[in-house]
Amino acid sequence: MINKDLSVTFLGVKFPNPFCLSSSPVGNCYDMCKKAYETGWGGVVFKTIGPKSYFIDEVSPRFDKLNKESTPFIGFKNMEQIAEHSLEENLSDLRRLKKEFPNQVLIASIMGNDEETWEDLARKVEEAGADMIEMNLSCPQMTSHAMGSDVGTNPELCKKYCQAVKRGSSLPMMAKMTPNITDMVPVALACLEGGADGIAAINTIKSICNIDLEKKIGLPIVDGKSAISGYSGKAVKPVALRFIQQMRQDPRLKDLQISGIGGIETWEDAAEFILVGSTTLQVTTSIMQYGYRIVEDMKNGLMHYMEEQHVDSLHELIGLANKNIIPAENLNRDYIVRPTFDLDKCVNCGRCYISCYDGAHQAIVWDAEKRTPSLNKDKCVGCLLCSLVCPVGAISKGEITIKPNRKTKIEDIKL
Amino acid sequence: MKPKYVEELEQGFTPLTVCEEASRCLLCLDAPCSKACPAGTDPGKFIRSVRFRNFKGAAETVRENNALGAICARVCPTEKYCQLGCSRSGIDKPIDIGKIQRYITDFEESIGMDILRVENEDNGKSIGIVGSGPSALQASVELRKLGYKVVVYEKEEKLGGTLRLIPEYRLPDRIIDVEIERIKKIGVEFKTKVNVGKDISLEEIKNRHDAIIIAAGFSKGKCLDLFKNNDNVEIAFDFLKRIKECKGKEKVSNNILVIGGGDVAMDVNTTLKLLGCKNVTDVVYEEFCEFKASKKELESAQRLGVSIIDGYVPVEVNNKEVVFKHRVLDACLKIIADKIILAVGQYADVENLNLKLVKGEVNSKDVYLTDDPKVFVAGDLAHSPYDKTVVGGVRTGKEVAHLIDSKLGGKK
Repeated sequence: MINKDLSVTFLGVKFPNPFCLSSSPVGNCYDMCKKAYETGWGGVVFKTIGPKSYFIDEVSPRFDKLNKESTPFIGFKNMEQIAEHSLEENLSDLRRLKKEFPNQVLIASIMGNDEETWEDLARKVEEAGADMIEMNLSCPQMTSHAMGSDVGTNPELCKKYCQAVKRGSSLPMMAKMTPNITDMVPVALACLEGGADGIAAINTIKSICNIDLEKKIGLPIVDGKSAISGYSGKAVKPVALRFIQQMRQDPRLKDLQISGIGGIETWEDAAEFILVGSTTLQVTTSIMQYGYRIVEDMKNGLMHYMEEQHVDSLHELIGLANKNIIPAENLNRDYIVRPTFDLDKCVNCGRCYISCYDGAHQAIVWDAEKRTPSLNKDKCVGCLLCSLVCPVGAISKGEITIKPNRKTKIEDIKL
Repeated sequence: MKPKYVEELEQGFTPLTVCEEASRCLLCLDAPCSKACPAGTDPGKFIRSVRFRNFKGAAETVRENNALGAICARVCPTEKYCQLGCSRSGIDKPIDIGKIQRYITDFEESIGMDILRVENEDNGKSIGIVGSGPSALQASVELRKLGYKVVVYEKEEKLGGTLRLIPEYRLPDRIIDVEIERIKKIGVEFKTKVNVGKDISLEEIKNRHDAIIIAAGFSKGKCLDLFKNNDNVEIAFDFLKRIKECKGKEKVSNNILVIGGGDVAMDVNTTLKLLGCKNVTDVVYEEFCEFKASKKELESAQRLGVSIIDGYVPVEVNNKEVVFKHRVLDACLKIIADKIILAVGQYADVENLNLKLVKGEVNSKDVYLTDDPKVFVAGDLAHSPYDKTVVGGVRTGKEVAHLIDSKLGGKK
């Protein structure tokens, strides 16, 4: 079996591998984190520890899921807030975990409700042995508006709380961002100004997952009502990648160290987050669905990917895609690439024809006798929707045409 | 768990697995499945409905087209029809269309949907149908929907004709009852234990109705001359009917020889195995490559351990001993069995009905017509291009109904 070094250094702390539990129900106590460490997770972000005065009172039930066709958990909705155990219990769990797993990274997620509590919590988790602090500025379902994503959309408040945490502790610290904002950059910059060493992104997206059609209530139903709360899982991956890219492409944040979060469940998802600039990766939803064991395939798959890419350290891969994602106005619009049909692979379903007619430019001609597609070049704009709907991959990029009076040469185009 | 005669051999889909199967469907532009059903079912449409979670719409698509939707879903040899051209085969294997249809019709039943409706006002005309098998039932529905009064005459106590010979593990009696209940609900009248030609003359019912459909079906099993007057021989249809009536509560001997290679033979084979017969040996005239039985029925017989020997013809019979010769090779086979069951074809029992039969069918110039302008035929008796299957019967039922409607002037 392949064995490659997956270790990364993030904010000065060495992780045996980049895979961490994110601060959530999956890292709620000593037993869970112990099992995760034993299963091979590189780090744990312990479920957010709040101030003593904040009483955690959860609803029941508290989750929902979005399905598509026969696939459950396309997306997941969660109403849980922060750790419900007492501050003492949480700190004692941190101590025990650090003692028993000195080589795996222990990150304490904290959330205060004023400068004093932020500072105090930072001090306490450092004393308990945490290697790093994550500031939860982004939970979208807190019952207090002085906490969670209401704070995370306010750069000034974020900066002030970062400063408070830095007063309380000298540990490396990352601030966890909310995606419930148009532009994450001002908040990230404010956090760095306030002393944050890195950024974790993204927390969950405010959502309503499903509505019960009979009862006319969102799900889950709590005594006849429901509420907006955080959405996560595979469906949010595109949104997470976009926010991370947007931060990394800002010149002021180009070397920003990021812990990537949002729908990671395979090694491919993990590699994508690394390529847009994440150093470590955090996972919850797929663990809630499948358990800690998913880290085995994520680690092994990532090792194989490293081998294919001829790299010996994941650091060589971090951010490699950043320069290749550019503003839409800067893309080359000089050419059209039209589809080509591999009729040996074609199973004659006609889906390309339907999608081209109903969703694109009526450029596919259907031979009803032979049940095969062909192209009307004059109508084809090269959108390649057909290649996306083909169930057997029989449609690929074919002939390139340069638009009239354009300078690009065909041989210079990178498809 | 050991399979039982009274339990469906094949498990139905669950809400999860039916969605998984529907997700495999490529949702073709010109779905080959939708062009291949003798009954005119549109699987492309009902699978798409399942895919987009419109189960009620799926049930409408099935039921409005086929009054025997739940029956066909279970007994149709789909590999010869809708599944034959399935585009998904280009990737792995066809969509299990029959089983999706079964899920849909089970769903329809579970929520008590009433889909069959009389679409036209009563037109004052009346049709009598002799027999209550698939073609008769479908014809009755088509005509009733058009506004005709319809009376079905069945000689047996139970309605359904040859459907009542299909073993419980494939087609539970309950399913047949439910389908017929729906037909009764739209106003088709059924008279059981009336043998037209014996209890009542054809002339008499001709006087009662504007047209008659004889859909008597191939209800009798053939016997070969070699096996006549042999107490050890039973005809497959008689056996299947008896077992179905007693719901499999019969002891069978341990060494039974079956002769025949069609679906009826496979039904006998599988039934015998499910009733506990140790050695079932089926000798078949055709070779495997030319078997008439549907693949599904052949496979379930084989899975249960039936020995099937292909390519042999019986040449000599002495009580329990049968000698066979290979059709091509110089080979001989002698089998001594406790009992012999013959599944070598069926014929129609149409005495006193004034029908001229050629090879068992009414071979008139136009399909469904007879020498008598008031009398039509459907189902097995009709010289139609369709297979003598349930779904073929449904098709002839539709066609004869529309032919009659065109002749009687349609709507009032």
